[in-house]
Amino acid sequence: MSRRALRTFYNLLALSLSGLATAIGLFFLAAILWTLIKNGIGGMSLRVFTEMTPPPGSAGGLLNAIYGSVVMTLIGILIGGPVGMLAGTYLAEYGRTSRLATVIRFVNDVLLSAPSIIIGLFVYELLVIRMGHFSAIAGAVALAIIAIPVTVRTTEDMLYLVPQGLKDASTAMGAYPWRTITSVIYPAARSGIVTGLLLAIARISGETAPLLFTALNNQFWSSNLGAPMANLPVVIFQFALSPYPNWQQLAWSGALLITLSILVLSVAARVVVSSLAQGGKR
Amino acid sequence: MSESTEPGQGDPRAPDTTAAAGAVAGAATRQDNGDVGVLRHLKPSGRVHVPASAEAGAGNAASQATVENPVFSCRGVSVFYGPKEALKSVTIDVGRRQVLAMIGPSGCGKSTFLRCLNRMNDTIAGARVTGTILLDGHNIQDPAQDAAQLRARIGMVFQKPNPFPKSIYDNVAYGPRIHGMTRSRAQLDDIVCTSLQRAGLWDEVKDRLTSPGTGLSGGQQQRLCIARTIAVQPEVILMDEPCSALDPVATARIEDLIDELRESYAIVIVTHSMQQAARVSQRTAYFHLGELIEVGETDRVFTNPRHRLTEDYITGRFG
Repeated sequence: MSRRALRTFYNLLALSLSGLATAIGLFFLAAILWTLIKNGIGGMSLRVFTEMTPPPGSAGGLLNAIYGSVVMTLIGILIGGPVGMLAGTYLAEYGRTSRLATVIRFVNDVLLSAPSIIIGLFVYELLVIRMGHFSAIAGAVALAIIAIPVTVRTTEDMLYLVPQGLKDASTAMGAYPWRTITSVIYPAARSGIVTGLLLAIARISGETAPLLFTALNNQFWSSNLGAPMANLPVVIFQFALSPYPNWQQLAWSGALLITLSILVLSVAARVVVSSLAQGGKR
Repeated sequence: MSESTEPGQGDPRAPDTTAAAGAVAGAATRQDNGDVGVLRHLKPSGRVHVPASAEAGAGNAASQATVENPVFSCRGVSVFYGPKEALKSVTIDVGRRQVLAMIGPSGCGKSTFLRCLNRMNDTIAGARVTGTILLDGHNIQDPAQDAAQLRARIGMVFQKPNPFPKSIYDNVAYGPRIHGMTRSRAQLDDIVCTSLQRAGLWDEVKDRLTSPGTGLSGGQQQRLCIARTIAVQPEVILMDEPCSALDPVATARIEDLIDELRESYAIVIVTHSMQQAARVSQRTAYFHLGELIEVGETDRVFTNPRHRLTEDYITGRFG
């Protein structure tokens, strides 16, 4: 075989291998989506959004679980978002290459990839045991702890993208660093930071393990943050493992619902980015 | 212009600074003999070593580094980036209401020196500045001197136009706002209008003050940056190659503007264009490999350079 034919062969080989890998990845993604839609769409009705989780054998919906998921995700991001943003700001604008910043960055990366069940156990130890019972607030704290490293990382990365020239211009005007950050850097990095927050919401809204140890579940409507609260992931977990067909159907519907919400959030994040990016250029 | 090496009257300077100034003046004298090697009188530790002949150099008419009643009075200023000495014991004054041009090949330390004057080197990790820099007789290197307060008195225009991603109005109003200079909206309107007029941009933008500053052309953006700078009424304006990203027409406008601003401000401009230095400045300083080789009246430096390195550079023989 000539050298040229050999090169063409290698190129073709690499192309087919990477194409195959992509196809395998996409196949499973499509299969999951297809299974979810096929099994979940049948159970989708107004009841899902208006009625509480039912006892085995009777009709019902997922209202308390949807409400609980929204509440805990919101509280989680309200705690984790600001903490993560400020920590990311510290790393990008104040700490930079200092030893402390390097250590924080490393620890944050470890936290980012820590199994979420560990975080659930940590909050169980921290809050649930001390309070003596499961509670929504413990669930929210667990979600916040998961949201923090994601927000830290995205905020830091986005702040690095702000041109040094802008920061220098503000500094040379005699602005103190905090003024430069709030008046120049945050507005310039706005779309990126918002995307990071949306992605953090998407990440925590599907977490199951940390809620299993903290908020647990509630068969009934509850808006008491000090009490156990229903939420979609744990309801899906329990209902899917149950032998009752109506519970299993609700689990499929809930799984489809959560997947679609995350899809909507991700699309929203992209739309926000592009619209804000255009707004900045206009 | 004074030929004296004595700094501005009544400067509360420490005695060792005088010695450092003498040392540099002495070095400058020898430098005129073409012997660059002897200039390395700074030890790696950064401490100024005063040679025995230092006093002999003081008062020598050969040095034109100093002026009477300077805005900035720099003595033995060195800058280190980590162990690397980027600027080697520079002694120079900046006069009032005149333009000082700094020329020299890339990496010669002229921008580094410019950034010393408003302590922008503070923002670079590992950068260290030694020596004395007096602004109106006060040492700006003093740790008690707040860098942000200092920078409010010294404007800076950068190589690349860098308007904030805000409206034209908000760009100019940025400085007055952060320094709390105005009490009413009318007062702020007035400052914005005056600054844009002085920067020669008013007529082009008066109907679209609320549109983003980033939507202007490169030359307009740079004039917007100048308007933003003069809105806080600084004492000095530092310009770091302000025209290198602009076309010749926009460059000519900025140069005219520099000429007008000179009536109110001291201006220090770093430029890669010798023609520009000759056109806009009254004094010119030539830097080479981190050292100040020669400084004097612009006409004199360009027509009758005293140092061979300067001559090589301005005649284009520099390799």
